[in-house]
Amino acid sequence: MKAFEPLKQRCGAWIWSLTPNCADMSRLASQSLEKALPLALRLKMRLHFLVCVWCCRYRKQLKFLRQAAPDLEQHAGVLPGRGLSLEARRRIVQRLQNPRGQ
Amino acid sequence: MDADKDSTAGQALPPEGAPAAPALSDPERWVELHGDYLFRYAIMRLRDATKAEDAVQETFLAALKGGRSFAGRSAEKSWLVGVLKNKISDYFRKASRETSFTDMEFYSDEESDRFVADGLFKDSWIHELGPHEWSSPGASLDSEVFWQTFRDCSNKLPKNVGTVFTLREVDGIQSREICAMLNISESNLWVMLHRARMALRRCMDTNWFEKKDRPE
Repeated sequence: MKAFEPLKQRCGAWIWSLTPNCADMSRLASQSLEKALPLALRLKMRLHFLVCVWCCRYRKQLKFLRQAAPDLEQHAGVLPGRGLSLEARRRIVQRLQNPRGQ
Repeated sequence: MDADKDSTAGQALPPEGAPAAPALSDPERWVELHGDYLFRYAIMRLRDATKAEDAVQETFLAALKGGRSFAGRSAEKSWLVGVLKNKISDYFRKASRETSFTDMEFYSDEESDRFVADGLFKDSWIHELGPHEWSSPGASLDSEVFWQTFRDCSNKLPKNVGTVFTLREVDGIQSREICAMLNISESNLWVMLHRARMALRRCMDTNWFEKKDRPE
């Protein structure tokens, strides 16, 4: 198997030279969530995903966070944490009792 | 005026957890029942405690004016959230006319230290520092600590980047609408979203998925 190592490396380097680098891929992965990218670029990205497990994971993880995010609202509202301060609470109650005031 | 203030301050607020009146509950109880929820909603988007308090106050005032009756507490809450949403987008529209939303933002790429600096594989992930596989991400959704981590990580995002992330990903508002609301270009929005997602992914990686003593 060792004999194939240089060939594998050369293939990797060749594909690498044809596709966007990982830093660009991370930008493109995010952009692809916003709009349809041109076909040629999508193909290059596909090719990159074939040889780069890190970019595959990155894209998968972004998608996971995107899917989870809408539920954050309902969780964040009830999780323990900072709420209205006592002072703000009093001020608002006072204002509501006298809505035309000031 | 002073006497007024004292009498209000001395008034006992209704006890927590008391059942909501089926009809329009009285304004004091609104603050008790929904104040914290609305404040958290507002601060996640406005990222400023004073502005969030003001938005909550305006919401209650608007609700008082447009008084309606409700079938129950949750219907009342979602109505108030709807009013607050409008207050928040009004705020952004107004603020974006006065100051630019993006010029104060520092656009450094937080992950740049995770990419190879030079050579043939310049700008590829440094293998040890690249994204690791996340174990059972689906199961995480059932954990309260996961959501706490998610909330804390999104709160740690830089101010404007965090606002953009919440509007786009949590509220699901379309890019074009956000650009109009904040008066920014689409490419500006993309850069900010890219930064937000990158920083959030990294934060969740460190504080949840890669955490050794992570609670299940």
